[in-house]
Amino acid sequence: MRSLAIFVGIVLIAVIAFNLFTFTVDETRKAVVIQFGEIVRIVELPGLYSKIPFVQSVTYLEDRILNYDIQPQEVLTYDQKRMVIDNYAIWRIDDPQLFVETTGGRLVGGQSKIDEIVYSDLRNILAKHTLDEIVSAERVEYLREVTELSRAKLLNGFGIFLIDVRIKRADLPSEIEQAVFSRMRSERERIAAQLRAEGEEQARQITSNADKEVVIILAEAQKDAEKVRGEGDAQALEIYAGAYNQDPDFYRFWRTLESYKVALATDTRIVLSSNSEYLRFLESMLGQ
Amino acid sequence: MAKFIDRLLDPDAQQEEGQRQVNLRRLPGWVGWIAIVLIVAIYLVSGIYTISPSEEGLVKRFGRFVRTVDPGLHYRLPTPFESVVVVNILEVRKSEIGFRTISPAPNPRYQTIETEALMLTGDGNIAHVEMVVQYRVNDSSLFAFHLIDSATIVKQAAEAVLREQVATKSLDETLTEQRDTIGIESRLALQELLDSYGTGILIANIQLQDVKPPKEVISAFDDVNSARQDKEKLINQAERYALDLVPRARGEAQEIGNQAEAYKQSRIKGSEGDVARFVEVLAKYELGEEVTRTRIYIETMEEILPGMDKIVLSGHEDGLLKLLNLDSMGGGQ
Repeated sequence: MRSLAIFVGIVLIAVIAFNLFTFTVDETRKAVVIQFGEIVRIVELPGLYSKIPFVQSVTYLEDRILNYDIQPQEVLTYDQKRMVIDNYAIWRIDDPQLFVETTGGRLVGGQSKIDEIVYSDLRNILAKHTLDEIVSAERVEYLREVTELSRAKLLNGFGIFLIDVRIKRADLPSEIEQAVFSRMRSERERIAAQLRAEGEEQARQITSNADKEVVIILAEAQKDAEKVRGEGDAQALEIYAGAYNQDPDFYRFWRTLESYKVALATDTRIVLSSNSEYLRFLESMLGQ
Repeated sequence: MAKFIDRLLDPDAQQEEGQRQVNLRRLPGWVGWIAIVLIVAIYLVSGIYTISPSEEGLVKRFGRFVRTVDPGLHYRLPTPFESVVVVNILEVRKSEIGFRTISPAPNPRYQTIETEALMLTGDGNIAHVEMVVQYRVNDSSLFAFHLIDSATIVKQAAEAVLREQVATKSLDETLTEQRDTIGIESRLALQELLDSYGTGILIANIQLQDVKPPKEVISAFDDVNSARQDKEKLINQAERYALDLVPRARGEAQEIGNQAEAYKQSRIKGSEGDVARFVEVLAKYELGEEVTRTRIYIETMEEILPGMDKIVLSGHEDGLLKLLNLDSMGGGQ
């Protein structure tokens, strides 16, 4: 059992010594070694490092990219319109020494610096542009400007590297929003009215066109019909004339007699002179 | 055990207390060795671990990333030498913008988040856009060691990108033909942005869900749709009217033409008929003009005189009276 006791003792000593004389820096972190309140060493790469026990203490810093959702802020645009800007910042700790010295190594400390600087830069930049510009695709450009400006200040002042600033939301204050809604409504009403009027327009075009076509078709038909009738009349006259001109005198005689058959056929009372051509012989016979 | 440690740390105390450890010393020495071997074995075995098929393992030695391991049974040096971070690289993660899924399929229920969904369009209007981003881990070491809160970063970046995209489009484009473009371009822009952050995230898919006018104005938009229907309806009615009217008119025109043609033909045929008789008679007439003339005259008289009331006036009164039809004369006066 003596061997077991020795073994356990060695393990314990090893564990204690390991914790006292070394420290481990994870992939996700950086570390600063502080001795009597002074930063004596900065560890940027992960691995196992040694330290002097009791004299030196280690402060770990986050080395991953950090996401800070900045509180929505109201800004005034160049054309004096108020906008609520909800943005976020992506950042990481770049200079551990400066960061620890200026913020005490706490993330919230870094966030409050980002808050101040980004907000003031954002407000300044956006104040140079109109609402329409801010809403447009140009926005990316303005944000790049904000990022550049803030990045320099944060890096030099606090050891913070600002990766990006983005506007999540750029909303209009509610009264402007209502104005936009009512403009959208009236625009749609205009489009609806226009569509209906266009429908009416085209419908009338179609119906009146049809009406016109009908009138033209009928008039055309009437015209053609009159022409055809005239041709008939003309041809008939020609035929009559061609035949009757062979002997106009006989035609007059024959046609007159023919017409008697029709004109005098019924309900006619006639007083004949016995001297007439037809009764001449009757008279002569009576006279004898 | 505490006694043993004391003794190890303090050799003098070991001497004094030696006599009191009689009971323990009676155990044979090999029991201690077995215990040591067991402890060491258990310690070494604790380094065995498994990676499931959808995962990737990242082994760190003293905090430093040293190797990536594939699914299966593996061994690492026990704590504190090595540790493993497991990342699920196949799982498709989801980020919802403008809405939240309250209960999943088969009976999904969604809740709209107005403040997220409403965004300004390039023409100064407001659109309601909902989007789903599906993503998975592309680079497990970046994802595990370079990112804290992947879900929030993806969501915020997606919101920013979506709003930037919509801000380049007009409301009508957003609602209609550019809808798909917004999805495609958002995906590219979001991927680019996340890559610039160094997240190790791959955007698998972006889908625009509801894209519509804000609810405050939706009735006006619906009215535009119904106006479009009204327009179609009016045009269709007019076309029906025209299609009904014009063929009828064409028929009527045919009718008029045919009637005219009929008239023409009847006039021609009639005249030809009239003339034909005359020509026949004329031919005979020319054979003996005086005789035929007389004959026709008399024949006509024969034909017409029977139907007439006749009064013959003669130079001889007596003779004339004999010929008078007294009955009909009386009736006539």
